[in-house]
Amino acid sequence: MSNADDDALRDRIGRLMENGLETQTEPFPENNLEFEAILDELRKLGPEDLEQKLVISGFVNKPYGEDEQRCLECMYYLVHRKWCDLPELAVPVEADWWCRLWRI
Amino acid sequence: MANIMWLQGGACSGNTMSFLNAEEPSACDLVTDFGMNVLWHPSLGMELGDNLQQMLKDCVSGAIKLDIFVFEGSVVNAPNGTGEWNRFAGRPMKDWVRELSDAADFVVAIGDCATWGGIPATAPNPSESQGLQFLKRDHGGFLGKDFKSKAGLPVINIPGCPAHPDWVTQILVGIATGRAGDLALDEFQRPKTFFQSFTQTGCTRNMHFAYKVSATEFGQRKGCLFYDLGCRGPMTHSPCNRILWNRVSSKTRAGMPCLGCTEPEFPFFDLAPGTVFKTQTVMGVPKDLPAGVDKKGYIKLTGAAKAAMPAWAEQDIFVV
Repeated sequence: MSNADDDALRDRIGRLMENGLETQTEPFPENNLEFEAILDELRKLGPEDLEQKLVISGFVNKPYGEDEQRCLECMYYLVHRKWCDLPELAVPVEADWWCRLWRI
Repeated sequence: MANIMWLQGGACSGNTMSFLNAEEPSACDLVTDFGMNVLWHPSLGMELGDNLQQMLKDCVSGAIKLDIFVFEGSVVNAPNGTGEWNRFAGRPMKDWVRELSDAADFVVAIGDCATWGGIPATAPNPSESQGLQFLKRDHGGFLGKDFKSKAGLPVINIPGCPAHPDWVTQILVGIATGRAGDLALDEFQRPKTFFQSFTQTGCTRNMHFAYKVSATEFGQRKGCLFYDLGCRGPMTHSPCNRILWNRVSSKTRAGMPCLGCTEPEFPFFDLAPGTVFKTQTVMGVPKDLPAGVDKKGYIKLTGAAKAAMPAWAEQDIFVV
């Protein structure tokens, strides 16, 4: 995927959230088993099912929770590419976004 | 000439295999260059049956001076403390272990099973296995926490699954050449020369650890294995990235997470499903943080490291 494609897809994801896409931010996976269960759900999706991917992983377009968690600190976030490197997601993101698969 | 007796309890022979692959010095060098006399070893011993039994009795009685008793594998106490599940030379192995330990100048435990109980002692521990002087983190084990060999040292623990051949040969050479007094042991009776630093010391992925870039698949050359794939390198005391395996590599260099096999808790989390090769987290933060780092500091460091990350850290720099 080229940078332009990444940018376009990032914009599209941003618009989906701006337009009120309701995602499952809760429950936050407290441990690995719960984390894995969400990944299992994601693995069942087709490659084009972007909206459902965002819904299941609980995407929001702003920092989340008391600690203001955001993609920037997440270990799956590639800063320069602005990319979520979690294989089950693998989408372009903004540093200030968040999802419930956040890990550091 | 130092007489060595090497016996094996609840074990897979992995440490023997590792030892026989030693190169500097090799197992043969120990005999030819360093004056070691291997009285018996499970893979090398020539004596069988009555002759072996007599040799063991002679070591116990002192008719044959036993300089170093090496034990590989757990001490099996099942069933019901009798040790009958692991008989050797006509009696429970644990009885030989007790008597030979009392007779030897030095006692050396090789591998996790002999040091802390290892995999055989994983809950529910059906073989009632113990390490020689530890059961996991609990000091005591089969010989008891006050045990000292004739030379006045506790059991010298060389853990690992398996132990690196150099760790074994260098300690044996040190003892056999009269330099046991130079050995400094840590709280788990491991030689500090090998077990003071971390597996992470010398890891080629340290740059990725510093900038918090995660490997997400086995064998990936970029990224740190600690964040997602359960690597225990930052918490494990071993020289695996200083004294390389087969002189060329290590688990982490090959893209395989460190399992923490030189630590008493190995195998971690009793091998519960989902715990192997996966970093355990609580609310997104690793349950086990690098040694000496607290949660607050870890979170702050992550933010700073990510913010400072150079572009190359996200790329595979090990190009062919």
